[in-house]
Amino acid sequence: MICNQLSIKFISRPPIQRFRQSTRLIYQYMFGLIGHLTSLEHAQEVAKELGYPEYADQGLDFWCSAPPQIVDEISVTSVTGQTIEGRYVESCFLPEMLATRRIKAATRKILNAMAHAQKYGINITALGGFSSIIFENFKLEQFSQVRNIKLEFERFTTGNTHTAYVICQQVEKASKQIGIDLSKATVAICGATGDIGSAVTRWLNIRTDVKELLLIARNQERLTELQNELGRGKIMALDEALSQADIVVWVASMPKGVEIDFKVLKRPCLLIDGGYPKNLATKIRYPGVYVLNGGIVEHSLDIDWKIMKIVNMEVPARQLFACFAESMLLEFEKLYTNFSWGRNQITVDKMEQIGQASIKHGFRPLLVQS
Amino acid sequence: MQQLATELEIDFQSEKYKDAYSRINAIVIEGEQEAYENYITLGEMLPELKDQLIRLSKMESRHKKGFEACGRNLAVTPDMEFAKEFFAKLHQNFQTAAAEGKIVTCLLIQSLIIECFAIAAYNIYIPVADDFARKITEGVVKDEYSHLNFGEVWLKENFPESKAELEAANRQNLPIVWQMLNLVEKDAHSLAMEKEALVEDFMIQYGEALSNIGFTTRDIMRMSAYGLTAA
Repeated sequence: MICNQLSIKFISRPPIQRFRQSTRLIYQYMFGLIGHLTSLEHAQEVAKELGYPEYADQGLDFWCSAPPQIVDEISVTSVTGQTIEGRYVESCFLPEMLATRRIKAATRKILNAMAHAQKYGINITALGGFSSIIFENFKLEQFSQVRNIKLEFERFTTGNTHTAYVICQQVEKASKQIGIDLSKATVAICGATGDIGSAVTRWLNIRTDVKELLLIARNQERLTELQNELGRGKIMALDEALSQADIVVWVASMPKGVEIDFKVLKRPCLLIDGGYPKNLATKIRYPGVYVLNGGIVEHSLDIDWKIMKIVNMEVPARQLFACFAESMLLEFEKLYTNFSWGRNQITVDKMEQIGQASIKHGFRPLLVQS
Repeated sequence: MQQLATELEIDFQSEKYKDAYSRINAIVIEGEQEAYENYITLGEMLPELKDQLIRLSKMESRHKKGFEACGRNLAVTPDMEFAKEFFAKLHQNFQTAAAEGKIVTCLLIQSLIIECFAIAAYNIYIPVADDFARKITEGVVKDEYSHLNFGEVWLKENFPESKAELEAANRQNLPIVWQMLNLVEKDAHSLAMEKEALVEDFMIQYGEALSNIGFTTRDIMRMSAYGLTAA
């Protein structure tokens, strides 16, 4: 396991030589994003919309055999004026693969997408959505040889440090927007022992005066460890926590969203849903309950890409997942390192560091729309 | 998830394994034999590249000997009759194309489809092979990349005039590959090789080859999945 807390490696690599359109030689540095769609139905819709009938009519078996593809070329400009290029790699992973225990297929998708990104010469690639969870849970670091490619893990980042930072900013800023005073507030974190969840609790514990933390997760041992680390926090079941929380942060990894009883929630209540697919199944609005897409940033300038429209982002040219933005930030800063890696390694200092880069390049957390 | 033979506790001496191996081993031997013959034919069609193609054909012949040794090592008699029947359609299509002087079709069949399929199958086989076969196969797969590269380079240099024939040859031959795969799905499973992993690795390798030649992502997605679900 690589420990990012110790040092950040500055890797100096020569620019990539690449032939484009077979004749023009260009030199470039690039970031990458490995993503997936939220369900088989979503994948079929997207394939149809993009004009890939060979993929549009297929069931899960087909997607289990489908190879990774680079389907988007991206250009991003920082508010500093710097422009970088990137590529979106569709891994063809679908959450149904986990739900139906097709673990071999799921892990193959992630390793093959990583090999594809590396073969393409991408410097730093974010593992979006379930990609990093699969990598971590199934210990894919032991399978670094993918065909004739030896995976260089320093070229990849989970993007979780930036996601955790952005969610914390959303807690701090959106709570103010709707009149919740953090010093009097109870914040429940659903998925508290995960990589993002634990980082969020660390930040809220040290950097805010939040009154109470409620820790929700499946693994009791990990919950106790987290509670000991924080020196505070109540371990609680979800149902019990929902009625007590002023703010609920959802960062559990679930293939499908859960239905909750909105009637039990306090008013006002802020629900920050950082899941992909969403942790909350319902789209119904209740007075006094504010549901905010968690771990989403808005960029100050338009981004030239298709992928955020495909994942149904409300403002696709400006809004994106914070984990994807992390690979952009690392590319802007030329920090060619697996900045976020391993489980529960995210420190408040590293969140602060990526947060400063985030502000510098013009990203800001998505807040409650007035 | 990748698993190694030791983790899966594969019994290489079981009757079930050896029975499946008799067909898979035969296919590999026959595949290398056909490749040997196909490269000699291609050498006649491309006289300026004859020396290079003869070198490739000799490599295939060595591979064949290596895989024969793998069968002997497990005391398995390869079912060559099955293997000849297995390759019959692809063999016939190559022969017909060669007789018509269709170099592009011949290259697609041998240098792209067969080589990509071999690379995919060998890469999936290596982690679950017995020690003897693993060493042989690791050596072979390195050579196969160079054979694939030969076809890619020639087709890239001649891409504009080859494109339409490549697409037609793809439509004609790729569905045959999926049918061939279905024929050995059970046997491959007995050797701990999963069909969906084989298909995925083939599509990755074939897609990369098509990309190197000059096809777009859109073309590649269409061409590499052609006929898969109908097979």
